[in-house]
Amino acid sequence: MSFSQVNGGPRPPHDDDSDDEVLASTLVEAIHGNDEEDDYEGETGSISGFQPSGDDIQQRLSAAAQPLEFQAGLPERFASYDKYCGLFAYLLNSEGPVDLEIPTYHWAWEVIDEFIYQFNTFCSYRHRVARKGGNEEEVQILKENPQTWGCYSVLNVLYSLIQRSQMNEQLAAIKKGEDPDEVAGEYGSRPLYRMLGYFSIIGLLRVHCLLGDFTLALKTLDDIELNKKAVFAKVMAAHFTTYYYVGFSYMMMRRYADAIRTFSHILVYVSRTKNYQKNNAQFDAVTKKNDQMYALIAMCVALCPVRLDDTIHASLREKYGDQFTKMQRGGPEAIPIFEELFMQACPKFISPNPPDFENPENNVDPAQHHLQVFMYDVKNTIFTPVLKSYLKLYTTMDLNKLASFVETDAETLRKQLVVYKQKNRQVRWTEGGLLEGELTQTADLDFALQGDIVHVSEAKVGRKLVDWYLRNLQKSFA
Amino acid sequence: MAATIQSTTTPIPLDSRPEHIENILGGLDRYNPETVSVFQDYVQYQCENKTYDCLANLALLKLYQFNPHLTREETITNVLVKALTMFPGPDFSLCLHLLPPNILDPAISPEPLADAVRKLTHLNTLLESASYREFWNTYEADDLYADLVADCAGFEDTMRDMIALQTGAVAREIRTEVVSGWLNLGEEELKAFGERLGWKVEGDVVKLPLNRENEAKTTVFRENVTFNQFQGVVKRAYEQAA
Repeated sequence: MSFSQVNGGPRPPHDDDSDDEVLASTLVEAIHGNDEEDDYEGETGSISGFQPSGDDIQQRLSAAAQPLEFQAGLPERFASYDKYCGLFAYLLNSEGPVDLEIPTYHWAWEVIDEFIYQFNTFCSYRHRVARKGGNEEEVQILKENPQTWGCYSVLNVLYSLIQRSQMNEQLAAIKKGEDPDEVAGEYGSRPLYRMLGYFSIIGLLRVHCLLGDFTLALKTLDDIELNKKAVFAKVMAAHFTTYYYVGFSYMMMRRYADAIRTFSHILVYVSRTKNYQKNNAQFDAVTKKNDQMYALIAMCVALCPVRLDDTIHASLREKYGDQFTKMQRGGPEAIPIFEELFMQACPKFISPNPPDFENPENNVDPAQHHLQVFMYDVKNTIFTPVLKSYLKLYTTMDLNKLASFVETDAETLRKQLVVYKQKNRQVRWTEGGLLEGELTQTADLDFALQGDIVHVSEAKVGRKLVDWYLRNLQKSFA
Repeated sequence: MAATIQSTTTPIPLDSRPEHIENILGGLDRYNPETVSVFQDYVQYQCENKTYDCLANLALLKLYQFNPHLTREETITNVLVKALTMFPGPDFSLCLHLLPPNILDPAISPEPLADAVRKLTHLNTLLESASYREFWNTYEADDLYADLVADCAGFEDTMRDMIALQTGAVAREIRTEVVSGWLNLGEEELKAFGERLGWKVEGDVVKLPLNRENEAKTTVFRENVTFNQFQGVVKRAYEQAA
C-alpha cells in the first residue's frame, strides 16, 4: 500500500499491512470509543458519525480553530486529537465535497495552525513525561497509544488536504498564468477545501522544519511564490509564520545571506504595518515571533556580515544591542551568546517517535541536538571577525606577521584563511524554487596566497550617478 | 546544492537521477517504508559509481527517522561518508539533523552506530576547519575509518581532489611541504598528482594556475545604466516641446 492512497485518518506508524478500509474502520472505532470522554470539554456536539447536521459541523469547525488550554492534561489532548481526526475524516471521506461556507476568513489558517501547534505541544509533553519519569499513569497511557498525534497521521492529514484540493496543480496553473479552476476539480474549487489545502502546504513547511528536515521544508514551497501578493500574505499570522520557517530553514542550511533576506523582508513589512495591526487579535503571537526573528537575524548577520535595512538595524540594536555587538566581535566569548539566542528563537523541535520510557536519560531534547550541529559551524567561523579587521588594513601582508597580530601560528592562520574564503562563498537564491541559487561572494574582502604573502583584494562599489543625475534633471524641468 | 567552490573539474560526477528515484521523491512514496530498500540500493549504487544524490539520501534518513526499526547502520554510515566528500557544503550537517537526537552524546549512546557517527563527525569538523593534515592523520590512526569508508569507492582520491580544489581557490603559490601535508602525498606522488591539475612543483614551492578565485583582483562594481531609466526624462522633453 502506498501512502498516497490513504485519505484522511491516522495511519499506524509501524503497521504496513493496513489498508484503507481497515484504517477507516479503526478511525470510526476510535471516534466511537471516545464518546464518553467528550464531556469534560463541555458539549460541542457528539462526534459519532460522518453525517452530522449543518449546525453541528459549524460548531465543530469553529471549535477546531480554538486554542487548547495551556494547562491541558493528557485526556484533553487525546480528546482533541480524536476531534481533529473526526473532523478531517468527515471533510475528506464524505461522499463528495462537504457543502460548507468557511465560518470566518481566517478560519482555515487557524485550524491548520492549531492542529500543528497541538501536535507540537503533545510531542513536547510526551517527551517531558518520558524524561522526568514521574507520573506512572500518564506513562502507561502514552505507551499504550503510540499512534495518537503520530507524525504519520499529521502528515497524512496535511497531504490529503493538499491532494483533495489539487492545490499543487492549482498553484502550478496560477504560476503559468492559467485558470486554477480548470484543474481544481470538485473539491478544490470550493473555498473550504481550497483554503485548507493551501494552508496545509504552509503547515508542511512547518512540520518538516520541526522534524529537522530543512531541505524538504523549503522544497515544499516549490509552487508558492514568496511575495506580498501570495495568498498567505492576506492572513497576517500565516504570512509571518511562513517567513519565520523559511528563514530558519535557510539558516540551518547555512545559507545565511538568504536567511537574512527572508527575515528582513517580513520584519520591514511588520514595522511598516504595525499601526494597522495593533488592534488585531493575532498581534500578540506576532510580537513574540518578531522578537525571535530579530534574534535570528542578529546571529545570521554576525555569521555573514551584510548591510541591513536601516529600520531593522535600529530595532536590532534596541532589542539585542549588547548580544549583537559581542557576536559581531567574535571569539570564544561569543559562543554562549549564540547558544542562548538560538534556544530562545528556535522552533520547538520534536522527535517524531515515542520516547524511550524505560531509560529517561536516553531522551535528549531535540533542540539540543540541532543546536549542537548548528554550533559546529558557528565555532568554525567565530574567528573571522578578528581576521577580517586586520585584512581590511592591508593590501599585501606577510603570513607570519599577520599570524602574530591575530595571536596564532602560521599554520593555524592558513587554515583560518581557507575557512574565511569558503564562508565567503554562499549559494544565494535568485529565482525559481527556494532551494535553487547561485554561488556568490558575500563579503567585499577577498584574498589569495602567494607563498607566505597574503594578497588582499576588495570589491568596491563605484559611485552611483544615475539617481543624482535624474533627480537634478527633474528639478530643472520644474 | 552543495556549496563547493566552483572549478572546472567536478570531483564527483553528478549524474542525472534515475527515473524511479525521481518518481519516489516527487510523490508520497518517499514516506512509504517499503521504499527503504530502493533507497538503500541507490546508496550502494552511489558508493560504487562515485555519484552523489543529497536529496535521495536525506529522504532515506527521514524514513529511518520515522521507522527506527528499519534502520540499517552501514547504510547510515555510508550516507555520512558520501556527505563527508561534499565538504565544505552543509550536506554532512543536514544528515546529522535527521539522526536521533541522542546520537552525538557519548555518555548516552555507546552503541557502535553512535560511535561511528561521532568518529565521522570528528573527521567532518577537521575538514570544515581546513585542518587537512590532521584529517589524514586521524583517518590513518584508527582502523575503524578504513572499515567505514570501505564501501565508498575511491574515497581517498575523492578527498584529495576536493582538498586540491580548495587549495587552488586560496593559493597561486604554496610551499610544497604544506600542500603535501594537506594532500597526504610524498614529493614524487605530488608531482604526478599536480600534473593533472596543471600544478608545477618547483623545488620547495608549488605554482598553481590562476583562476577566478585565487587572482584576488580588486574589482569596482559600476552601476548599469539602462535607457529605461531615462524614459521619463525623454518623455517629458517631448511633452514640453509640444
